[in-house]
Amino acid sequence: MSPARIARLMIPWLALRTAAIAHATPGPVYTLIGAHSTLTYTFTQAGAANQGRFKKFTVRFDPDAKRLAVRIDMRSFDTGDAQRNSILGGRDFFDVARYPQARFTATRLERTSSGYLATGPLTLRGVTRTVAVPFTWRIVETDGRRVGLLEGSTVLERLEFGVGQGEWRATEWLGNAVTVRFALRMAPVAR
Amino acid sequence: MLRNTRARWGALSQLLHWLVAALIAVQVALGLVGVALPLSMAKLATLARHKSLGITILALVLIRLLWRLSQPAPALPANLKPYERRLARLTHASLYGLLIALPLTGWIMSSARGFPVSWFNLLQLPNLVTRSVPLYHAMVRVHIALAVALGVILALHVAAAIKHHFVLKDDTLRRMLPGTASARAEASETIKE
Repeated sequence: MSPARIARLMIPWLALRTAAIAHATPGPVYTLIGAHSTLTYTFTQAGAANQGRFKKFTVRFDPDAKRLAVRIDMRSFDTGDAQRNSILGGRDFFDVARYPQARFTATRLERTSSGYLATGPLTLRGVTRTVAVPFTWRIVETDGRRVGLLEGSTVLERLEFGVGQGEWRATEWLGNAVTVRFALRMAPVAR
Repeated sequence: MLRNTRARWGALSQLLHWLVAALIAVQVALGLVGVALPLSMAKLATLARHKSLGITILALVLIRLLWRLSQPAPALPANLKPYERRLARLTHASLYGLLIALPLTGWIMSSARGFPVSWFNLLQLPNLVTRSVPLYHAMVRVHIALAVALGVILALHVAAAIKHHFVLKDDTLRRMLPGTASARAEASETIKE
């Protein structure tokens, strides 16, 4: 058999095989590498920017299936001040005893000029609202392994979710807008 | 008019003196109420105003000090005994020192607590130190001690002003008041010259 003939025979087979791979085995799913990931929020208290963070959360990102799911342990928040933490965890704010978890699940994932836009329901303090979260996604080589970097931010209005009850609904000394920032390092895992 | 003379304080010195005096009164009230209130929006608002006013006082006192150093201050009354002169100078220096140290310790307190200071919700000031609970508690004690010291020195200052005005009947108080360039002040100035 001449090499040319072999090549002619193989082309359809290769094409088929490539198509089969694309359908049967899509790219990996990514989950969080907790130690290198941050989820923080900035709020305005008495005219000054103050910061808090969540220490426990999980993220699962499937670029091919266009799915992004985030779970936040609301009890893991910290604003760096014990007195403030005690009131923020209480009934008037996060009410972590009744609402220990917040969830965001993207039901739509669109490509944008700078990355992605994930749109879906965010459930926080028992209230579900549709939010749109823009983020960037990069695969980089770190410490000899390939990891995904998922980074972005979005602005939420705390009162939409009932974060701030009673007198804490006023926004002059405690702003309504809260900027949530995330920088997540993610590792590919088997599906 | 604006500048000091040897006989009396100029308009700018007078304005800054009485403005700071009024702000100190408001400041003490805000501080006491702010500390007494339970954790609430009212406490947040009161302490935020206390911080804003404190920064305002710091700026006004620094302006006043620079203005004072840029020109001669009125001479102390000639009838003072040497120890009274020393006491007067010490009192005035302490007032400047305390009015600078009090806002600064308050600012350090807020920074150490991790609550950045904003000037009337308009301008966020940088933190002077990184977060430290022990430093915060130490600064609370220093801030309170300085406030008590300010109270003592102010009492002395006011008592001296009253004595000069009502007992010694000289122009010490009057020359810090607008529109009372008394004949006596002018006369004494003429005599000195």
